[in-house]
Amino acid sequence: MSATLRPLAVEVRDVTKSFGGVRALDGVSLDLAEGEVHALLGENGAGKTTLSNILCGLYRADAGEVIVGGGERHFQSPAQAIEAGIGMVHQHFKLVNSMTVAENLHLGSPDTPRVVSARALVASAQRMMDDIGLVVDPTAKVWQLSVGEQQRVEILRVLARGARVLILDEPTAVLAATEADELFAVMRRLVAGGRTVVFISHKLNEVLQVSDRISVLRGGRHVVTREAAGATARELARLMTGEEMGIEVEHREVTGETVLELRGVTSRNSRGVVALHDVDLSVRGGEILGVAGVSGNGQTELAEVVTGLRSPEAGTITIDGVDVSAASTRRIADLGVGHIPEDRIGVGMVASAPVKDNAILRHYRSDELSSKQFLRRDRILAFATSIVEAGRVQTRSVHMPAGQMSGGNQQRLVARRESLLADRLLVAAHPTRGLDVLAAKQVQSAIVERRDAGCAVVMISDDLDELLVVADRVAVMYEGRIMGVFDRASFDREHIGLLMGGRTEAVAG
Amino acid sequence: MTPRLERRLDTDLRRTGVSRLLGAVTGLVVAALLLVLTGRNPVTVLTDSLDAVFGSKRGIEGVAVQSVPILMCALGVALSLRMKVWNIGSDGQFLAGAFMACGLGINVEAPGWLLLVMMAVGSIVGGALWIVVPAAGRAHWGVNEIITTLLLNFVAVQLVVWASLGFWRDRASQVTQSTRPVPVTLPRIPGFDSVSIGFFVPLLLAVVLWAVFRSTKVGYEIDTIGGNPRAAAFAGIDVPRRIIVVMLVSGAIAGLGGFLQLTGAPGAQALNGGGFSRSYGLSGFIVAALAGASFPGVIVAGLFISAMFYAGIALQTKGLSVYIIFGIYGLVLVGVAVGEVAARYRLVRVVAPDTSPSIEAVAP
Ligand SMILES: Nc1ncnc2c1ncn2[C@@H]1O[C@H](COP(=O)(O)OP(=O)(O)O)[C@@H](O)[C@H]1O
Ligand SMILES: [Mg+2]
Repeated sequence: MSATLRPLAVEVRDVTKSFGGVRALDGVSLDLAEGEVHALLGENGAGKTTLSNILCGLYRADAGEVIVGGGERHFQSPAQAIEAGIGMVHQHFKLVNSMTVAENLHLGSPDTPRVVSARALVASAQRMMDDIGLVVDPTAKVWQLSVGEQQRVEILRVLARGARVLILDEPTAVLAATEADELFAVMRRLVAGGRTVVFISHKLNEVLQVSDRISVLRGGRHVVTREAAGATARELARLMTGEEMGIEVEHREVTGETVLELRGVTSRNSRGVVALHDVDLSVRGGEILGVAGVSGNGQTELAEVVTGLRSPEAGTITIDGVDVSAASTRRIADLGVGHIPEDRIGVGMVASAPVKDNAILRHYRSDELSSKQFLRRDRILAFATSIVEAGRVQTRSVHMPAGQMSGGNQQRLVARRESLLADRLLVAAHPTRGLDVLAAKQVQSAIVERRDAGCAVVMISDDLDELLVVADRVAVMYEGRIMGVFDRASFDREHIGLLMGGRTEAVAG
Repeated sequence: MTPRLERRLDTDLRRTGVSRLLGAVTGLVVAALLLVLTGRNPVTVLTDSLDAVFGSKRGIEGVAVQSVPILMCALGVALSLRMKVWNIGSDGQFLAGAFMACGLGINVEAPGWLLLVMMAVGSIVGGALWIVVPAAGRAHWGVNEIITTLLLNFVAVQLVVWASLGFWRDRASQVTQSTRPVPVTLPRIPGFDSVSIGFFVPLLLAVVLWAVFRSTKVGYEIDTIGGNPRAAAFAGIDVPRRIIVVMLVSGAIAGLGGFLQLTGAPGAQALNGGGFSRSYGLSGFIVAALAGASFPGVIVAGLFISAMFYAGIALQTKGLSVYIIFGIYGLVLVGVAVGEVAARYRLVRVVAPDTSPSIEAVAP
């Protein structure tokens, strides 16, 4: 039976966690099935331990959900996590060295009586070990045990509390090869009994040897989850390190006509502050103009004035020569302009409405989906299904509220819907933000595909690396002004970086 | 182990329905306990109520008559609720509609059917006019419609009182607080003594509204605005205009209810001060909220509330105050509201946070 068909033990959705300025986890979503060894693979600092600590109640996620048995859980402590059946064996053991194995096994357990004899403890420890099938001398003091035995005590301690999901953080790092093999045998036994083992490692061969499924994390992001069967060490290494992972984009000379043109556009933001200063820009068909800059320097307002959500105070905007400075969103969309908005939940969709209603949000007026005042319900269903399929949106059903999908799938839905609308111009604001690496690549490919079909693209991102790969030209915004526009021949990361920070003078040297 | 509430991720319509129903039943049980405490037998109250409603043709007709104004107000409120606009003013719109219909009815000479049509149109206009200011305020300046619509209720009562006592007062009759009766009424449903064909209007209207929201662009747009107005603007929907139109229609429906009451309900052919509406707007609001703005739901909940209302009036003859009936209403409503919220949670057991282990406990 494929691991993915087993019932889910735990679902992680869009979990984000920062330590100070460091994003240890960035929108990670994955699921753990019952009866599988699920490897978490990643380089040091990828976020494996942080994710495990959230699962076992040691840390709290800044955002996102952990779903156990169909309900969202916010563990306040490891005790609550273990109550829900999730327990963890840490990289550094948490045993009391001067106590016996039996004492350690009962330490901190709510089931341990306040007063109890040593003999009773040993007997009860022996019973646990027999039940679980892991044996260590219960009367030995922890300091007398080998590391492998100590680890068993840790595992026993977690299982004795009824854990159904056992997280092992780099358990093999401290083991000799033969001890590791014994541990793997224990892991296989546990999953054969229906438990879930999360096996953290950055050793590829071990992961391939013992796992059913493998999830790769890199830089706090989820890269992929796949079956271990058929995976190769080389491929996993690539996924872990990110080499060759990025999209490759061919850049040819742009020959299309000018589609979008902004002249002297000035606009205020919602707080009444001038957010765009005298902006001049033009984009041609078949060209991706990247807009680089630190978030909050006018990029949002730029996307809004171009797509009709905000009207400029001064200046003109034309699309295919048509003045749209004062045109409505509807009129601009009718010209073949798609918009992937920055705030996909707040602006791009109706979270409470079904996926199908969201799929038609910008298309329901078309002759295909409606006639006169009536919606063509059968066609809407087919249309929504096609968007879900073509956009690789993972959803249980098109009738499910869109807000119940993970953030990545919401983004895929919006991206696909808007690409479909974009015959002439696509304005994509942070289209890959929060997506895992593969999903980001899919969205980038979709954008490049629009470009190759002759559409003009404005792609706003605060990820300069992404723009340098995808864009044909890059404009840098700072405090509402265009600081410079670069074509590929003159791409200079350092120069662009300085301009993003508002520095123009330091460039000369 | 301590029990704890945990929010559910999904919403299940069936679970919500069952939970609401359980809430309503709980409300009734609490009401029964209160009746016991006040020395009444709840079983007698229940059987008397059922008897009042279903015991005779008169009871059924009474409920049907009662339901028309409540359902009309409820449909208007439910329509605006689809857009998350809270029209608390359907009482005022109902009175404004009746006022217009009455004014036309007693002042214009025309053949009966033409006069009826004019009065119906007039009531629609009156109800809509009564919500113009709240609608414009909400749509263009974000003025809270709850307050504006509510306040206009009091103005409408004063207007009707003024008409009844003053400019349209029936000088020929001894009744001091009433206008002249309108000269035309709606035909009765064949076979019924007191139910006019107006009874079918809210039923038909519910079907129409249901169909509009099921399969028209306008319905989709209104639901989209209700779900997320910014997404609606993104979709190119003219949100302020839709808000105004929907609120006007919402008022117009309540206004038409005023016409149906004036020309359909037995003995209601004249405006007699604020008493012309027995808080139909409030009942309508309760019904719309109970129904969760579903139009078939409005019909079910509306008939239920109407039956309770009618039973309450009938029980007054048995010495039960109408306030007790209002109390029971309130308890049922609170029960349903609690049930609705409860459906979103479930109970889980968790251990109390780890306390540090005591060394003596494990030491030999
Ligand atoms: N308690 C902490 N305080 C500050 N930074 C942390 C803390 N824990 C982890 N980090 C940071 O978060 C990132 C992910 O760390 P971690 O989850 O330990 O990775 P892994 O286990 O995959 O090696 C790293 O950059 C690390 O420095
Ligand atoms: Mg680690």
